[in-house]
Amino acid sequence: MSSQDTTTAAGEGESVDLADGVDHQVAMVMDLNKCIGCQTCTVACKSLWTEGGGRDYMYWNNVETKPGEGYPRGWEESGGGWQSSDHSERSPGEIPDKEDYGESWEFNHEEIMYEGGDQPLRPQSDPEWGPNWDEDQGAGEYPNSYYFYLPRICNHCTHPSCVEACPRKAIYKREEDGIVLIDQERCRGYRYCVEGCPYKKVYYNAAQKTSEKCVFCYPRLEGEGPEGETFAPACAEECPPQLRLVGFLDDEQGPIYKLVEEYEVALPLHPEYRTQPNVYYIPPFAPPQHSEDGETIDVDRIPRTYLEELFGERVHDALDTIERERDKVDRGGDSELLDMLTDTNPARKYRLEVFDDA
Amino acid sequence: MAEDRLLAVWAALACLLVVTGALAPTLASARPANQIPVESVRADENPQRPTGEAWDAVPAVEVPMTSAPSGLPNADETSIEGIRVQSAESDGRFYLRLSWADETADLNASAPREFADAVAVQVPANTSVRPPIAMGSTRNPVNVWYWRGDAGTEELLAGGAGTTTPFERPAVNASATHDDGRWTVVLSRPTAADAANRTTLAVERDVDVSFAAWNGSEMERSGRKSVSEWYHFRLGPGPQGPPYESILWTIAGLAIVGVSLVTIQAVRNTGGGAE
Ligand code: SF4
Ligand code: SF4
Repeated sequence: MSSQDTTTAAGEGESVDLADGVDHQVAMVMDLNKCIGCQTCTVACKSLWTEGGGRDYMYWNNVETKPGEGYPRGWEESGGGWQSSDHSERSPGEIPDKEDYGESWEFNHEEIMYEGGDQPLRPQSDPEWGPNWDEDQGAGEYPNSYYFYLPRICNHCTHPSCVEACPRKAIYKREEDGIVLIDQERCRGYRYCVEGCPYKKVYYNAAQKTSEKCVFCYPRLEGEGPEGETFAPACAEECPPQLRLVGFLDDEQGPIYKLVEEYEVALPLHPEYRTQPNVYYIPPFAPPQHSEDGETIDVDRIPRTYLEELFGERVHDALDTIERERDKVDRGGDSELLDMLTDTNPARKYRLEVFDDA
Repeated sequence: MAEDRLLAVWAALACLLVVTGALAPTLASARPANQIPVESVRADENPQRPTGEAWDAVPAVEVPMTSAPSGLPNADETSIEGIRVQSAESDGRFYLRLSWADETADLNASAPREFADAVAVQVPANTSVRPPIAMGSTRNPVNVWYWRGDAGTEELLAGGAGTTTPFERPAVNASATHDDGRWTVVLSRPTAADAANRTTLAVERDVDVSFAAWNGSEMERSGRKSVSEWYHFRLGPGPQGPPYESILWTIAGLAIVGVSLVTIQAVRNTGGGAE
């Protein structure tokens, strides 16, 4: 039995599916056309949440090259999620191997920095895999090779199979904003959530003997910092091209609602896992293919079939809609959609206080 | 005549065989079903150690184990089929020695796919009522004595599956060895209880107990475990209750002897008639 049946939030006009018992749902939209793979988000997250204490191998935020194996390696084939859209039965999943995550390597910093050695900087072990091992490899043949970056965090799903997997009810979806959290007091490190999450966004901490995951920087959202100010998650605020929008899915005045529900150009990753993610992606465009003699030809460089594998059938409509709006702007017209996708005003990109006095 | 005597000797031998065959098992299992005797032992014989001499004289009960019913993935795939249980008391301390076959000693949970071996014992918090076997209920909780290869011992209170919470000041000690493809773990605790909800074993009645075990290398953990049915520690007064098995075996033995005697008599008579 699913504990997260959907109810429909009451509101004017169109309305949004929220998890049962959840007042509002935090959401994030990432525009994949802007990601430069700099990993600033990864480092921001790591230095805030996962340094030391058994967390070195964890990347609550990771950025992987697609097409590619991802982090942990082969996560898309690791199972988890739901068997059908009524969320009555989960799909079995596997806990990834330590090697598939990759270990946190020790480097020969000491020798190079202080002992004047002239060997190259390298791990002191002899690793055969690690996060981003296949970075920038992608797929396709010259001159039509292609790849793009896919930043991933926990999706704070509307039907989180990690929650359902836990025999101790240690994972829960927060009532006020739908953030999915693990109660560290209740968790006993059984890792059913690790295997149950199809995105492999729960990590086992062998030092604490509990499982841990992205907390959507909830203390920042709650203004727990020194100034009492509200901040978006660090991965969003630190991103140099500012490609992430943060807010609530059910904030009908905000850009997230419009991109997801109205224009339907922001799509969840692997909707077929049926957890209904609340992180959404603007699918990537690439220049068209080139012929052998360098002529531009009218063929998609990133095969639509591949994007469909990642984002489902709706990716075609999403890409077509964006293309249409771009043409409109090219012809001198106005586009609310493109205005939202190119907005640089943080007050509109991060709408975190809209429900504060509700 | 010589033939006759030979026949008689054979018959007597056969009788003896039948009788010993029938009565021998009664010596081994002269005990009501699912009873675990609690022997008094001397503290200087080291009952706290899995290899302590104290255990040589304590009878062992073979407790069969099966997969616990559970909705967890692969819950019916468990590997531990039985636990050998002994229990003893000495100087106000209660000891339980558990031994089971497991080829690998899984002592670590230091990688995502690593799980440690574990064993647990549950007793009712209130020994006068038998709780639901799946870790009790809210109204009828159980005490769980839990040992895990990587984390040592825990003393927990549970009121149903998924509800274990540690006692504030645990009173259970454990000592474990892995030798020759077997775990042997001794759990011990003061016989009397000094905290709310802690089971007292200083009672004049039998106390329900059941067992669970996990094989870490098979990724057994939580509700994916081998469990036993309810047994009881023999702490009650008076004789050891009705030894049903012994009674049945004795009746069977006597019946066989009777049938043999009648048959021999008949053979003799037939032989006599032919002479
Ligand atoms: S992404 Fe995974 S861990 Fe996060 S809520 Fe969804 S199922 Fe749970
Ligand atoms: S910080 Fe922004 S641009 Fe850099 S990798 Fe992360 S999401 Fe991409």
